[in-house]
Amino acid sequence: MTDDLDDFRATVRQWCETHVPADWRRSQTGVGDDEFVRFQKAWFAELHSAGYAVPHWPSEWDGGMSVAEQIVLYQELAAHDAPRLVLAFVGIHHAASTLLAAGTDEQRRRHLPAILDGEIWVQGFSEPEAGSDLASLRTSARRDGDSYLVNGQKLWASGGMQADWCLLLARTDPEAPKRKGISYFLLDMTTPGIDVRPIRNAVGESHFCEIFLNDVAIPADNLVGAENEGWQVAQATLGAERGLTMLELVERLGNAGFRWLVRACRPIDDPVVADRLAQFEIEISGLRGLCRELVENTEAGLAGPADASIVKLYYSELLQRMTDFGAEMSGLAAHTELAKPLSSGWESGSWVLDFIGSWEWTIPGGSSEIQRTIIGERGLGLPREPSAV
Amino acid sequence: MTYSEVHDELRSVASDLLSKGDTAVDWPLLTQAGWIGLEVPEESGGAGVTFAEVAIILEQMGRAATRSAYLGGAVLGVGTLTALQPSASRDGLLADVASGAVRTAVVLDGLRLAGNRLSGHATFVPDADGADRLLAIADDSDGIPVVVAADNVTVTPQPVLDETRSLAEVTAEDVAVKEVWRFDGAAADQVRRLHDRAAVAVACDSLGLAEAMLTATVDYAKVRQQFGRPIGSFQAVKHACADMLVQVSVARQLVNAAVEALADGGDARVAAAMAKSYACAAAVDVVGKAMQLHGGIGYTWESGIHVYLKRALLNRSLFGSPAEHRRQLAKRYSSRETPFRTRYAEGTH
Repeated sequence: MTDDLDDFRATVRQWCETHVPADWRRSQTGVGDDEFVRFQKAWFAELHSAGYAVPHWPSEWDGGMSVAEQIVLYQELAAHDAPRLVLAFVGIHHAASTLLAAGTDEQRRRHLPAILDGEIWVQGFSEPEAGSDLASLRTSARRDGDSYLVNGQKLWASGGMQADWCLLLARTDPEAPKRKGISYFLLDMTTPGIDVRPIRNAVGESHFCEIFLNDVAIPADNLVGAENEGWQVAQATLGAERGLTMLELVERLGNAGFRWLVRACRPIDDPVVADRLAQFEIEISGLRGLCRELVENTEAGLAGPADASIVKLYYSELLQRMTDFGAEMSGLAAHTELAKPLSSGWESGSWVLDFIGSWEWTIPGGSSEIQRTIIGERGLGLPREPSAV
Repeated sequence: MTYSEVHDELRSVASDLLSKGDTAVDWPLLTQAGWIGLEVPEESGGAGVTFAEVAIILEQMGRAATRSAYLGGAVLGVGTLTALQPSASRDGLLADVASGAVRTAVVLDGLRLAGNRLSGHATFVPDADGADRLLAIADDSDGIPVVVAADNVTVTPQPVLDETRSLAEVTAEDVAVKEVWRFDGAAADQVRRLHDRAAVAVACDSLGLAEAMLTATVDYAKVRQQFGRPIGSFQAVKHACADMLVQVSVARQLVNAAVEALADGGDARVAAAMAKSYACAAAVDVVGKAMQLHGGIGYTWESGIHVYLKRALLNRSLFGSPAEHRRQLAKRYSSRETPFRTRYAEGTH
């Protein structure tokens, strides 16, 4: 088994050496949307032809890689500083895991091959009044013959401008308790009545979007799971954000991230600088262990109810502290880097922008405050907050 | 039984035995339990297992804030003896240690050897007071570290705030040594490993005591009522407990990695420095939060949290402070070979 893994590592390593574009960071810095999309799609196709794009999918859909092999794959991609799959992310993780967990055969046949051909997905969950309290979402879907008519507004939909399809949560039963009246839909973004507007974020990028839905008709066939059971389906989708996707990011933090940080720190033998670097290296090492254990325990059905939250919280805050230190160490020169390389991890080496961008980890996907509450309540069994409702 | 079941069993037995009453555990009890001889080869009356099993005992001792001579007598004593070239006297001593007839302690540094005469002054030697045999590491005339039987030396207990540990000064005034043992293999590496063992042993202890304090705090926060509800339902308290769990979880990863590296017999320097630095610093934070979240009662002598705080603080200072270990780690960043990059590429800890 170990020998097989060593062989696999050697194979991936060799592939990376011949396929990772040498100068992609430079060529992807400051480029426009079109070039970003072109590069992402080309890199996705490259990975897919090697069998590395969707290793976590079942074998009948071109995946079927063991968890141990996936860990090796992500370690090697990170070690070779390969570009990340940013644009395909929601499709290969959230959309696919939702379809595999709760989709119909027809939904799977329609979308999984399309995702492999480059279909782009966006997540339509959050709303202006439903952020951390996602279950209070108000976008409504009213049954109308063979379809649902959807009205409302979605927010923080990352990649909404490029998306072909949307994973949509909408309320189908306004009378039911808030988690029991939500349904899960697949929405074709070319449907009339959809208006997507980019929101410029603190970094200056516009990958977040608002999606306005005005009498948008969704065929009833595009319902995932049963009506009013969308909250449970969404749990599978949210779960996909953890485990291996975290492992990939953590490996990137430990490889390119730490390497850039050491490079940014001069003089390296300054005791204060050295001490901070060593502390970061130690914490990355601990986080890598936590993350590997999460992946292995999830696979074995042994993961604790707060394990994913611990990893997400620790990654977010470590990223924030590392990029903060990188910004401090890089001095005034880092403020002249007006654009960072797209397709990189959250630690691109453009420290000021990376630090500003780090709030994109401590706020979404369950803010750090929400994670601490989950860890306290589900991990330690502490009593819940008295409910406001 | 699987490997992991054996470990669970050992952990459970240790937990039961150590949680009974007084924190002081007698040497004969440790011997009967078979914990002293865990790493002693079977032919010498031991269990012939590795540091992985010793680490389980250490963690449980940290949990219970056990007062025992395990650190000096087993971790360092047995660790030193098993690192030596076999000889009649070494083998005999090892068998006596496993049977409980002889308790040893080790002076890692501070004493000097000139010919066959030992002199010098060592401080903070764990469990030297009351030990039957003292082993000292010193350089021979060729500058190669050897182990000598430090008989006829003066041992003076050093009072320390943490009453659960026994530390002593050892003074040798030009005393003749009767036994000189040589290390098996590269002596410098063996000495390095002994220092790593000491550091990781203390990290295991800190991990255990931090876990105990987290459990105690969570239990208390569930039952202590203020403003008409359990204090654990307040976010300020809940989130502080969450942070304790996160720190303990990260510490456990680093400690496990270091224990594994030592048990495998390879170079454990980096893993040991990481574990010692993080776990021992985190334990002080965790016990500090435990005291804070217990409120006034936590500050009392009666509550016993001070026992854990003092032990965590002493652990942090023993065998290299976190800052010292980080300094060692950081030396790799400026070296031309940058070995830390290779390590990451290998995907190891």
